[in-house]
Amino acid sequence: MVKYVEVPVGPQHPALHEPIMLRVRLDGEVVEGVDIVTGYNHRGVEKLGEKNSWVRDIYIFSRICGICNAVHAQTYTQGVEKLMGVEPPLRAKYIRTIVMELERIHSHMLINAVMAEAIGFDTLFMLIMRDRERVMHLKEIVTGQRVHADIHMIGGVKRDLRPETAEKVLRVLDYIEARLRYYKKVFEEDYTIRKRLEGVGKISKQEALKHSLVGPVLRASGVPSDVRVDDPYSAYDELKPNIVVRHEGDSLARMLLRWDEALESVRLIRDAIKNMPKGNPVPKAIKRAAGKGEVFSRVEAPRGELIYHIVSTGGPKPYRVKVRTPSFNNIVNSGFAYIGERLADVPVILTSFDPCISCTERVLVVDEKRGLRKWVPFMALSRGEIRVT
Amino acid sequence: MSPKLKLLREVISNIFSRPATIQYPREPAAVSSEYRGLHYPDLNKCIGCSLCMVDCPANAIKMVKLPPDYKNPKNPRGIYPVVDYGKCVFCYQCVFVCPVKAYITSNKFDMADYATHNSQALSLKTIGRGGKE
Repeated sequence: MVKYVEVPVGPQHPALHEPIMLRVRLDGEVVEGVDIVTGYNHRGVEKLGEKNSWVRDIYIFSRICGICNAVHAQTYTQGVEKLMGVEPPLRAKYIRTIVMELERIHSHMLINAVMAEAIGFDTLFMLIMRDRERVMHLKEIVTGQRVHADIHMIGGVKRDLRPETAEKVLRVLDYIEARLRYYKKVFEEDYTIRKRLEGVGKISKQEALKHSLVGPVLRASGVPSDVRVDDPYSAYDELKPNIVVRHEGDSLARMLLRWDEALESVRLIRDAIKNMPKGNPVPKAIKRAAGKGEVFSRVEAPRGELIYHIVSTGGPKPYRVKVRTPSFNNIVNSGFAYIGERLADVPVILTSFDPCISCTERVLVVDEKRGLRKWVPFMALSRGEIRVT
Repeated sequence: MSPKLKLLREVISNIFSRPATIQYPREPAAVSSEYRGLHYPDLNKCIGCSLCMVDCPANAIKMVKLPPDYKNPKNPRGIYPVVDYGKCVFCYQCVFVCPVKAYITSNKFDMADYATHNSQALSLKTIGRGGKE
């Protein structure tokens, strides 16, 4: 007698916007277990980083993820700066902060829009995406491109923020803030959204800590953890961000927390522009070699804590750059959150974790005949041992 | 006012507002002057140092020989960079790292076509113009 029905959701599925597969085991319509299968988007970017110079790697690592490219560049650059003993000017730190906060606003707007689409509220999706375009335009006038900021450089930033650009940023932020407040209200009050999100995918504080979830998912379960406050980098020690915490732990709390964080980011950008020191943020010469050593660098990305471990044996290239992205924790460890929910809620729960699959991919070896799956550790991979034993 | 009615107000205001869709390519797309678009080296300024080629993360830049009838005393090796726009990721590291600021930048972004697209023809046109666009 068959006890469960297994339904594969993904890797190419209309309700999921990322190439991930959830093997959902169902008893009737209730989820009994979920196998999270990744591996559809592996590109070998860490190896590519080892093959290229310190400067080239800024661009290579910022291309791990399209949405949070500036935070990837920030984590890598601040690690390399620590390794090389370079201190960027304070103005450069402020400009980096402005870019990263603009990124946080548009990232949170995007996932809330995707959530609106996932629950079948396409009008709201289009409204949010239309306003998100204004934030992308701000990123374009500050950095030079809508998506890839590419403003980080070892020892500073590549272009200064002109006063007229800063004024335009402030002007558009007034509009954005009003819209963010409006959308937060829609998520709080709308009957359809509440019906689909409230109480779905509930994660308690203990569970969130036990499975080492990070970022908005952790904060929505009542744990005040934010690298911007715990371990301030860039200009955050002067700007003093407030940690937004909610205690409900369900999908609705995670989405509302993102609206609150976006509003906090608006305040941070305003403060950063107001208190920005004078000076030249563009480095005159780039340092191209690092001494021996290793460095651990972490940053609060829109999805949570992003960690880089950079090892140098001296010379023009890194020996090893290990990337631990927030989605790696939040997606691979979150299988427990689906159990006991309905099949229709699976995409909603996944979307509420803000999955970023291009960040998550690691090496997985599958033996289809014997049904074995095995994660390959780095040391084994470096010795060329890609076998299932 | 109930939340449903508030959304209705949004819908009605959208009926009377201008469409958000830009009719590109019939109308020009709004690209700011800050945009990192098409860029090519000015051969009057280029000294052939190859620093842009060394730093290019996409390996999009190749150094090629200058035309035989053109001599630039500032460029003793007689080479200049050619940017392959198909490979280029428009990070502007080449523009940033250039010690003589030889790159001419623009906000031109519509470069998708069937022709082989690189900066060679644009660079060769700069010869004799004295660094003017």
